[in-house]
Amino acid sequence: MMIKLLGKLILFFFVSLVSVQAQYQLSSQFDYANTLFKTGNYFDAITEYKRLIFFDSTKTFFYRSSFQIGKCYKAGAKFDEAIKYFSISELNASDDFERFDSKIEIVRCNILRGTTSRAHQLLNEMELTYSGNDSKDSINYWRGWAYMFEDDWTSAAASFAKINPNHELKLICNRVEKDKVSVTFATVISYILPGAGQIYTGNFLSGLLSLGWNVLSAYLTINAFNAERIFDGIAILTLIWQRFYRGNIQNAAEFAESKNIDIANSALINLQKQFRGAKP
Amino acid sequence: MPMFITYGDILCQDSLKELDLFSYKSRLKFGNHLYLEKDYLRASYEFREYLKYEDNDTIRFKFANCFYNIGRYLEAADNFKSIFYNSTIQDESRLAYYKSLFFSGDFNLFRNSSRNEIYLPEKYLSEVNRLYFTSFLMDNSVLPDTANFISAFPDSNKNDIRNFYIQKKFPQYKSPTTAALLSSVIPGLGKIYVGNITDGLTSFLVTGVLTFLAIDNFNHKHSFRGWLFTGLGAFFYAGNIYGSAAAAQIFNAGVKFNFDNNVKLYFEKRNYFLPENNL
Amino acid sequence: MIKSIIFCLLLVPTLSKAQTDWVKWDAVEVSYKISNASSKNIITQKQNTGSGIISFLRNIYGFFISELDGDNCPFYPSCSHFFVQAISESGMIKGPLMFADRFIRDLNFFKGKNSYPIHRIGKFYDPVSNYTLNEQMIEIALSGNGGD
Repeated sequence: MMIKLLGKLILFFFVSLVSVQAQYQLSSQFDYANTLFKTGNYFDAITEYKRLIFFDSTKTFFYRSSFQIGKCYKAGAKFDEAIKYFSISELNASDDFERFDSKIEIVRCNILRGTTSRAHQLLNEMELTYSGNDSKDSINYWRGWAYMFEDDWTSAAASFAKINPNHELKLICNRVEKDKVSVTFATVISYILPGAGQIYTGNFLSGLLSLGWNVLSAYLTINAFNAERIFDGIAILTLIWQRFYRGNIQNAAEFAESKNIDIANSALINLQKQFRGAKP
Repeated sequence: MPMFITYGDILCQDSLKELDLFSYKSRLKFGNHLYLEKDYLRASYEFREYLKYEDNDTIRFKFANCFYNIGRYLEAADNFKSIFYNSTIQDESRLAYYKSLFFSGDFNLFRNSSRNEIYLPEKYLSEVNRLYFTSFLMDNSVLPDTANFISAFPDSNKNDIRNFYIQKKFPQYKSPTTAALLSSVIPGLGKIYVGNITDGLTSFLVTGVLTFLAIDNFNHKHSFRGWLFTGLGAFFYAGNIYGSAAAAQIFNAGVKFNFDNNVKLYFEKRNYFLPENNL
Repeated sequence: MIKSIIFCLLLVPTLSKAQTDWVKWDAVEVSYKISNASSKNIITQKQNTGSGIISFLRNIYGFFISELDGDNCPFYPSCSHFFVQAISESGMIKGPLMFADRFIRDLNFFKGKNSYPIHRIGKFYDPVSNYTLNEQMIEIALSGNGGD
């Protein structure tokens, strides 16, 4: 009887040993995969995380591995796959913090992928679910980034202002909005004075040339009509004056839009390269 | 008592071997899982490691199939070749080998290889034969005669194959020389012959108007303007002839592109008349 | 139950899109830049005009005239760029003939009926390579793609 009991205890000891050893193996595998991730071998890291998930029958590492696979795909700019794995990690999260982290990563992938409307949708859903101050700040922060990627700097500034009225990113957004030119104004003044819109947007030479062509073709047209050369007058009006007048308006609008895009891109590249805070 | 300890120790050792994530058995399990998920490149790495320890025809086939599925056809062909002899799946491997050569796009290589009788799969001779004839529709080689060509395909598809054969042998091309000659006689006629009717009419109008202006100015003793319009007329006349020949070539390129697309879609829809791959 | 259904639905696209990992890939840094969506932006439509006296003259024409009179050419590349490319690729005999043909096709009021593929910037894609009388160089482009 005692021997049988002792035998069972010994067997129990060996089984426990196996179980501990298994956990140790899986834990080592997780560390190995993390090392590959940290050294930038994302493709191989995914292989090792997948290996871990396959052999982890108790799903101890499932959330963390799925999350890391998502991060690997994100680093490789494969956002569809990244979002898939962040969604899987979200479904297998053990608490609200993990769920929140997964959702935020999905938002960040949507921003980088250019599907900012989806990012806004997710953030709006999260706003209804998560009520803590830290969560709200995080939601507003990424909402601001989504607006910046949409070239909506006013809304972005408003989002950052909800975190802190003097938030660094709010000040950057305000500066961008201030630097931008008005496309409507450029177009309207070009209707009134050809070339003015182009000068307003900083293209002085183009504006002056445009003004010159319009003045010259106006002079030639009027001259032709005055000399009763009607056909010549109509030809100059339609083939030259109208062309340069229309071109001046088109250029004013396009130069203004292009300048605004350049200002926005300059700010975005600056943020990408030099901003030290969290980025998508 | 020692029996319990020994038994426990054996159980422990076996379980630990099973838990070794990088043992060849674990690699096989993981490789099969990746293969099912269509993660073929990763699966190939696992199968390669497994095959260093154990030789297994099915796994060797799956390993080759990984390369086939990701489009690395020549590597697939090389690996299928390793299962050509003394294997229960040697016919399947031979068929897969020929499929790999076919889909590699080097149809000359495929055809030369398929004439090598020692490699042909006995069970799938007609499939390889069909692929052989299909390859002629996919490149610019001289078509063989119709008799063997059409008869290689199932009865229900013979009409379609015959149509493809005729279109390949006698494509509905337009001759660039004819187009140029027509345009030299009547400006724009070559473009109308090619099917660009509005371009042809525009050519005719432009050269016509310029010719009229030239004649009119010469008649009114405006020699400078006369020569100017003559020069422009000649310029656009020559351009119209050139453009007609170019338009015929573009038309022919379009005919070939559409034919190639139609053939590809037709055969893809029917899996090239090949059996489904079950592995 | 719902979790497992959603999980299965998530796996379906994973299976169909496994092609992502059929080639080993490296890390990629995505630029934050916003793309310029304007399809008629003359400034950003920089086309390669090559070197030489013809392209110099083209640049003068562009500076004084074509960059000021609006975006009038429905083709990509524009007629002046086509002229320069035609001469630089095919010489002083074929080049002008190609341009003469392009000019006539531009005058065609019904050019839209000619099934030119639509370039991604919204213009008719009509490359020089299609008119060299060399069949190997003809490009059959699909709408939305074509060229650089």
